[in-house]
Amino acid sequence: MADPFKARNPFAPWDRRELPGMFDVEETARRVGHYKWAEMKLFEVLGGWIATVPEIDVKLRLGTHCYKHAWHAELWHNRLPELREMNPERLTCPPNDAMVRFVAALTEPEAPEMTIEKLVGVYRVFIPHFISAYTFHLNNTSQITDGPTSRSIKFILQDEFDDWRDGEMLIQSLLTTPAEVKRASEHQARLEILLIEAGGIAGPGTIGSADVE
Amino acid sequence: MRKFFPVEDLARDERFNQATNAERMADTRGTSNTGVIRKARSTNRLTPARPDATDAARSLMHGIMVGEIQALEGAGRTCFDFVTGEEAPFELKLDMARQCWDEARHVEISVKLSEWMGTELGQFVENTVLFAAACSQDPVLRLAGVNRALEGLAIDVFTTMKEFGELAGDPYLAFCEDWMLADEVTHVKMGSVWLRKITENDPERRAKALEFQSVVDKIFSYGGLRSESDESPILLARRFRELAGFSDGELSEIADVSLAALNERREALEKTFATSPA
Repeated sequence: MADPFKARNPFAPWDRRELPGMFDVEETARRVGHYKWAEMKLFEVLGGWIATVPEIDVKLRLGTHCYKHAWHAELWHNRLPELREMNPERLTCPPNDAMVRFVAALTEPEAPEMTIEKLVGVYRVFIPHFISAYTFHLNNTSQITDGPTSRSIKFILQDEFDDWRDGEMLIQSLLTTPAEVKRASEHQARLEILLIEAGGIAGPGTIGSADVE
Repeated sequence: MRKFFPVEDLARDERFNQATNAERMADTRGTSNTGVIRKARSTNRLTPARPDATDAARSLMHGIMVGEIQALEGAGRTCFDFVTGEEAPFELKLDMARQCWDEARHVEISVKLSEWMGTELGQFVENTVLFAAACSQDPVLRLAGVNRALEGLAIDVFTTMKEFGELAGDPYLAFCEDWMLADEVTHVKMGSVWLRKITENDPERRAKALEFQSVVDKIFSYGGLRSESDESPILLARRFRELAGFSDGELSEIADVSLAALNERREALEKTFATSPA
């Protein structure tokens, strides 16, 4: 048996986590507040749409996914006070007016014939943007000082990938004619333009910049 | 998308047929058909021994399925219709979102159980009273009408169906009903907790909500469908309702309303039998 009193390194050789991170406490709280706002808007619209879609398989998926995004919002709600934000409502906000316009356009479709638009908005625009925002955050935050945020993001990303796959498969099952494909892509483009204007879910810099500075 | 979605616009595929509560209750294949068969036996409780048990159980399961769809839709609308913080607390909306997931699973379960029982989707009519109760402009009334009255009825229904499965030697049915029963107790408890919390300092609003709950309870006691009498197909499940936050006084009130509905139905039937030719 190994000597239990023999000195060991606090970081095992396979543990490559580092201290530096791109976000300080304040910036993390700002981003987390925007995530919470966006997740709230998403679970609300998913819940609202359930009664409006005639396709029963879509109805059931929307119900299931509604809860997942509510849970994400709850995780961020609980994280805010740990980031020195004692009034979580203060930071639960959109990053800018363009984001508000994006959510309004996303939420607009209601008619039972508009399931394609509803799903495209969520699964081809909003959720891919969540995945990129969370991935950027996870890869750039300090894995030691900001461990709780990283842990939440890992859980959330698992949901986002699962839901994206569910939604994409539903969309593919609904797109049966060239006209429907066109409808889907036009709606996607309309929403994507608004989200680009917003700079992403957390505003400009949501996924950093790929430009050489 | 509009806030407050009207019941007439509920989206359904071509298989669904909607009808009023009275029309649905008049379906002779139904669980609630206490009138036509009441003279033939001493109890109307839904058991495998009833001669019409197959159709009655299928009808009830189909009713559960469409009820779960509407409960899903209602909880979803509560997530969307009210402004967070101003009109409905954030935590209440989280509970409603959780309920969406639970109800979606219940639809999945009841679709599979219906298939297991040999029923096709749309084989029985759907009445939309449940969603109508979820259309109130006050979230507290929705909690009272849906979470306490209708989900309370679901506790009674699932208890009866679980017993039906046990008596019929169908562990598949009893197993699923027991899981759904556990969720329903949670939903009713959510309703009880939020109703008390939100109306803590607003007795008028609380009274209004409880009155609405009572109205919904009465609608769903139609024809003596549910009571503590053996003449009702569905038994009032006191124990599970207690777990869900109903007080003794509330339970007695529901029992009284249910019994009154049963007596009303009995008198109407006796009158019909007395006047109809032999």
